This record gives sequence, structure tokens and C-alpha cells, in this order.
Amino acid sequence: MNKQMKFNPEDEDFFGGVGSFGVPKFDNAMHGGVPRGFLVVGFTETGSGSELFAKQFTSPAEEPENTILISTNESQLEIARVFKKYNWPTDIAVRTLGEEYNAKVLEKELLASRYRLEGFKLPDIQRLAQTRFVDDDTQDFLTEMTNEVMAMGPYFRAVIDSLDFFMQRDDPGRVVAMLRMMQAHTQLYRGILFITVSNDTITPAVKQEMAAIADMVCDFKVRTIGSDFETSMIVSKFRNAPENLSIMVYRVTPEEGITPETVERIA
Amino acid sequence: MQPATVYSRDRCITGIHGMDEILRGGIPYGSTVLAAGTCGSGKTTLGMEFLVRGALAGEACAHFTATEPSVKLLENIRQYAFFDMNMIDSGLINVFDMDVLYSWLGLDKASFDLEDVHALIKAIVDIVNTIGVTRLVIDSVTTLCYKIKSEQLIRDFLFTLGKKLATLGCTTILISEITSASENAHWSSFGVEEAIADGIIVMGDVERMGHLLRFLQVVKMRGTAHSRAKHSIELTPLGVMLTPMLKWGAVNDNTSRWGA
Repeated sequence: MNKQMKFNPEDEDFFGGVGSFGVPKFDNAMHGGVPRGFLVVGFTETGSGSELFAKQFTSPAEEPENTILISTNESQLEIARVFKKYNWPTDIAVRTLGEEYNAKVLEKELLASRYRLEGFKLPDIQRLAQTRFVDDDTQDFLTEMTNEVMAMGPYFRAVIDSLDFFMQRDDPGRVVAMLRMMQAHTQLYRGILFITVSNDTITPAVKQEMAAIADMVCDFKVRTIGSDFETSMIVSKFRNAPENLSIMVYRVTPEEGITPETVERIA
Repeated sequence: MQPATVYSRDRCITGIHGMDEILRGGIPYGSTVLAAGTCGSGKTTLGMEFLVRGALAGEACAHFTATEPSVKLLENIRQYAFFDMNMIDSGLINVFDMDVLYSWLGLDKASFDLEDVHALIKAIVDIVNTIGVTRLVIDSVTTLCYKIKSEQLIRDFLFTLGKKLATLGCTTILISEITSASENAHWSSFGVEEAIADGIIVMGDVERMGHLLRFLQVVKMRGTAHSRAKHSIELTPLGVMLTPMLKWGAVNDNTSRWGA
């Protein structure tokens, strides 16, 4: 029998059936926002603004302690700077796996290369002779990230930007399996989970599978028009609401971040 | 005709009771000696006492442990009166966990290739060279070589390591685990260690009148004359004690029984 959750009616009233995208105009275009329990997958292109969109997606932060941004490319400092710039709440949880990977894996690899190339110096040898245990350096970032999301309570809001990090280091089949687990948890706990992945890091088959798992699929596109760039989001899947499928051109404004353009451009 | 001048190599005096007599003064300096023994035959104790006696004589010593964690090794060895933890704390004897060394060198994989083997040799030689180690024990070379899949690579590893350590004037005991110490048994696990080593010491058990006695026998030692007789080992609180075995042989040895 499927696991069922009981929700407090007051919470139901407070959180409502949908959550904001963090962009009011997107909410309007999607008839209110993202339904709770939805996994939104964004397939991205370089320069399409998806990183900013991912951060903006966390900005509604209905419960900051139940909101997390997991970034694999940016540092805590960079993220904090963007949040301050747009006046988004800075009391949400932010985990920067890229930084952790650099510190725990790459730095260790670099040190190992140094030892192998240059040899041990006397202080290294003294430290080595006093070291009795191997650091537990077995780090499975994919499992850690999944656990982080799975540990979140009802009505959580989580963003993973992006899955590229895992697609490049793990078996894509395993990444998709973890995605399934997170999708089930999101649905059960009426959370909202937004995940980005670059088109260039996945095969069409994996993309197809991810799109099938997702409740909503957005394609972030960028193209040049004359000497200008045009960024757009194509909503190609919206479970149980096909009327929401649309193409939205957006731009970045200093006040609102990602903002859909309401006036059609004349090419 | 006058006899030619007898050249005698400098010796590393082991300090182990009875061992230097067997070796007519000690192990020739810079030798790589394979101490091959069965489980529980006293290899680790012998190796550690070799280092302790060196440390007491002011030599820098190093022990690489691959079979058991250094914490466990030190806990087991500190019950012997000859051992003093201050020797470890003060850096007279440097005990290195091979697992830690592997981790530092990024050798976390299941098997080593040529590049990894060279990195390992370089690390050991670096340590020996930097601290000025003159006595080294690797316990055990069998466990270490399990990670090296090719026999040729094992041979290269042991040969290169032995050669480099000898150049640095380091006398090395490579402990090897064997399943049998009988006359027909191999003295090494991979068959190549014994060919590379300058000396071979075999350790095992022999049954006498219902008792299992530990024995040690020096099979080969380049650069010195030595006894090839089996000697009885006693692991006493004061250290290893070697005494000549009486020649009545084992219970299953019909040729040397009482009254035979």
C-alpha cells in the first residue's frame, strides 16, 4: 500500500495548492504557479539564464528553514552576492557541492600528485608517522544530495543546480534512479523541487527518461537575434494542465532578475 | 702461499639474543633480508625488536605496517619489556600505516600499476633518505604485493626497492607470510621475493613431544658465513631468544627419534 501523509489543514491553507516560481509573471502565465508535489526539470543551454532562474526559484522561501539551494557550480560567496543584489532571502540553506568537491576530492588529489612528484618533506613524514587512521574520504555526493532532499519536511522547496556534476561523475542510470526517489518524496510531502541539467551532458535516452519522471519540463534556450541575445523558456510538459504549455521569452532586469517579456519582439 | 686478506663486510648488529651469533656478527649492512614465517611464528616481534635494538643504539628506524593497523601493532608490542612507547613518540622508531601512505599518495585503488609501484618506491625511499633510516621493516611484503597483480611488477618493485635501500645503507627486513615452513615449502608467497633478497630467514613451528615449538633458520645470507641450523625461538617479555635446537628432530622424523 502506498505511503500516505496527513497534512495540517492550517498548513494546507497557508501553503495552498501551488507555490510561486519566484517570478510573478511566470506564475500568472502558469495559472498560479507550480503545483505542490511537482518535480520541475529544466533542460538548459549555456547562457540561457538558468542559474539565475534556479536561485530565483528559491526566493519565495515560504519556510526558509525548509528551503534549500544545492549548487554544484557556484560558491557560497557568489550565491550570497546574487541573493543580496536582488534582495532575496538569505536565510535559506545553501549547499555548494562544487566547493565541497574541490576541498575534499580535488585538493586531496592535488596533494597526492605533489607527494608523488616532489616526494615527502620532513614535516610531511613526521605527520605521516603520527597519522594512525585514514580519513574517511569516501564521498558519494549523489547519495548525500538525495538524502539531503529526502530529509526535507512537508511543503519543502528545493533547487538542484545542476545535475551535470553527477551526470559527469556517476552512472546516469543511478542519477535517474535517485531522481525517481526525490520525485516520489516531493510528491508525498507536497514539496516543490526544481532541477536543472544541461542538454550537452545527457543522451537523448536519459533526457527522455528524465522528462518522463518530471511533472513539468522547461527548456531554457538562448539564441542570437541580430546583435542581441534572446533567452526563452519552453514549457513542454505540465502534468494534467496542457493549457500551460507555452514559450516565454524573458530577460534579466536589475530589479526583478528573470522577467518574462510581455511585449512581443519584432524580429 | 700467503692467504689473501679476508674482507669482512660491516655488520648491522641485530641485538637479538642469539641472532648475531647465528650470523657471525650480524646482518651485512644494507642487506635486504626476507623473514618468511608462518602465522604466529614471531615475525612481527622479531622485526620490532630489530628496530628497538637499533633505536637503542641511536639508529633511525622505520616500520611500515600493512597487515595490521599501527594502533593495534603498538598495543600488541608494548607488552614486551624491551619496547618503550617513548621510542615512537620521540621519533626514534617511525611507524607508518601503509593504508595511510596509500591514501596520501592517492593509491586508493584495488591494484597498482607500474606508475603506482614507482610512486610507492619513491615514497619509501624518500622517507628512508630524509630521516636517515638505517633499519627498516616492511610487515608484510606479502600484503603489500597483493595489490601488485603482475609477477614481473612484484619482482621489479622488490628489486628496485632493495637496490635503492642498499644504496642508502639501510638494512631491511621484509616480512613474508607463508603457509608452511617445511623443507619443501616456498619461502615466499609470490616466488620472487626469495630470489631478490640477500638473506632468507625462515620461521615456523615444529612439533616436539606434543609441544609446538617455534623455530628460526637462516637459509641464506649473502656476505657472511652463518649457521644453517634450526634454532628455537622463545618470545619472552625481554624479547626474542634464540637457542640451538637439539638434534632429535620432529616426531614424524623417523631418522632422528630417541633410540633410532
